[in-house]
Amino acid sequence: MNPAHPPLAPGGPRLTPGEVQAAAFARAALGRRGLDEDQVREFLQRVEHELVQLLNERAALAQEVDRLRAAPPDGGPDDARPDDAHFQAVRILSQAQQTADLYVADAERYTREMAQEARQHRDAILTDAQTRAGRMMEEAHHRAAAMADQAARSAGSPPAAPPARPDTPSAGHPDGPAYPESPMEMTRVDGASLDADERRRMEREIAYLRTYSDVYRTHLRAYLEALLRNVDEWEKSEKENPEKPR
Amino acid sequence: MDAQRLKENFAQVAQHGDAVALFFYSDLFLRNPHLRDMFPIGMSGQRDKLLRALGQIVSNVDDLGELVPFLQGLGRDHRKFGIIAEHYPHVGASLVATLRHYSGASWTPELEADWVAAYDVVSHVMLEAADQDGMAAPAWWSGEVVAVERRRFDIAVLRVRPDQPLPYAPGQSVAVELPQRLRHWRYLSMANAPRPDNTLDFHVRLVDGGAVSPVLVRSVQAGDRLRMGAAVGTLVLDESSHRDVLMVAGSTGLAPLKAILEQLAQRQTPPRTTLFFGARTRDALYDLPHLAELAGGHPWLTVVAAVSDEPGGGGFGMSFGSPFGAPEGYGPPGVPGSPVSFGASSWFGGPPSGASPGRPPGSASGRPPGQAPGQAASGDAASGHAAFGDTFGSAAAPVPSAPPRIEHGTLAEVVGRYGSWHGHDIYVCGPDAMVESTADRLLRDGVPRDRIRLESFAQR
Repeated sequence: MNPAHPPLAPGGPRLTPGEVQAAAFARAALGRRGLDEDQVREFLQRVEHELVQLLNERAALAQEVDRLRAAPPDGGPDDARPDDAHFQAVRILSQAQQTADLYVADAERYTREMAQEARQHRDAILTDAQTRAGRMMEEAHHRAAAMADQAARSAGSPPAAPPARPDTPSAGHPDGPAYPESPMEMTRVDGASLDADERRRMEREIAYLRTYSDVYRTHLRAYLEALLRNVDEWEKSEKENPEKPR
Repeated sequence: MDAQRLKENFAQVAQHGDAVALFFYSDLFLRNPHLRDMFPIGMSGQRDKLLRALGQIVSNVDDLGELVPFLQGLGRDHRKFGIIAEHYPHVGASLVATLRHYSGASWTPELEADWVAAYDVVSHVMLEAADQDGMAAPAWWSGEVVAVERRRFDIAVLRVRPDQPLPYAPGQSVAVELPQRLRHWRYLSMANAPRPDNTLDFHVRLVDGGAVSPVLVRSVQAGDRLRMGAAVGTLVLDESSHRDVLMVAGSTGLAPLKAILEQLAQRQTPPRTTLFFGARTRDALYDLPHLAELAGGHPWLTVVAAVSDEPGGGGFGMSFGSPFGAPEGYGPPGVPGSPVSFGASSWFGGPPSGASPGRPPGSASGRPPGQAPGQAASGDAASGHAAFGDTFGSAAAPVPSAPPRIEHGTLAEVVGRYGSWHGHDIYVCGPDAMVESTADRLLRDGVPRDRIRLESFAQR
């Protein structure tokens, strides 16, 4: 059974005689005798709270009585203590102002938290995109390089020993295949082999580029589609829970 | 008038803290309901200001040399709020009522007479300064936003044309109020030296949870109107000096320093100037392309950029820029003979020396479709750059100039690393922590305190 009474809160709902009368406690857990200790303790706490409040109110009333007794017996309520009315008004206005300040501060905190969350979200998305992009580029490069090697092989001559271009996986960005050749290298070869070399090189490069751009496009498309889906979901979730209170 | 008695009484009253100001304003508004509209809805900031000003006045009540300039400034400052002579007695009455209320039994007729006399002097000095100011300048300037450039999701550059010329010295700032946020005034620095067409540039960074900056950064459009107060601020060029200049700008703290830079450029022989421009991440270096352009056109100027929250070196992600809005012809990556190092070139979106013309066509500069955090803005900023050429009338077409170096570390560290700044005039502006640490560093390096001019702003 649920506790028979709401939790304590300063200035919260007051305890009524009816509630005391109707107070009900669950049986203690198995193996223990009597009533649920927590519920009883909580209830007692609430009774105590109520008593404190009553005593305070009584003290305030006693003070008020003293003050009224001390005040001059005659004099209408209008001219007796004009200051009192003003101070009351000041107090009320001050309270209203404080309430307004509280709301403003709450709203500010809320927007700040929202903005910070959005910022973190943005950073996460960017980091994620960066990682994906890295992987995508690497894959495109590897596949294109493989394609290029294959093209070079199928161009007839035995594959050029090591890749003409140093691989730079650590930097992670794809270089083009060996290009441009240095003039020194160009002059080393004679006419016929230059043609063959040149052709092989070109084919290799074309294969590389073609594969690279294929892979790149595919990935780009997939990525953009994923982004669009993301936006759709976002929109949908916003429509489903408009103005969801905190 | 017994200054000591006033101080003691105020100290006693001030113990009640915020309640004092709360009582004061409630009393003031009850007696004069028409004054309420001159204040914002939320008053907590206002109450802090009141208590601070009162404290300052009371503590200097016997030091007129200190007090009078403060009051004069206060009087001039209040003109833009629409405060006029007839408001002053109301404030005085509520002030005395408040002091009386919180003094309890220790309130005496003599004390009351002292306070009344003191308030007379205060309001007299304030009003006199306000009146004098009123002969030369309007209480505020209205202006129109003529261009807005969003450089990043949280940074915008605005150009405003005041209806009448607003005089200022480069480095100064004005309080700005938007019709969308009435009674909220925020100080913004002019980011340009005065121009023949009187337009003013402002660099605004969105403060999370702020009242005004989100409107400025995200919703203000060309054609919107705003109000500005008179220019204030002491972060201005020491005209008499011909020493070399060091400038250290954190984020939008760049604005006043850029204005001073433009002023220097107008000199016959500008001093050798080094500008450090720092941010947490590269994409927050929202004005780097312009600075690079400026440095390209002015041999006396060196620009060094610094990022504090990104690792040095060139990881893969760092070495690629955004595929969108790539800065055509701007700092082309991998330009042979480019003087910049790997890390430095990367901001401009180019892979380092390994970049070869044989890169796949889909990745004009080897850029992946995803944007690295540091890179999102190299595109943003670059497209801003293009727009700047139109709306912001930047000089000539962007000249590809050597991109500035990008250093890693806080501005204090980077500036310190660059060696000694003795013999320089130093101007520092940016977030509180950045300004403080930079000034500390310079002072520790033995730079004389009076060579450093600084200004800072709170950053949440």
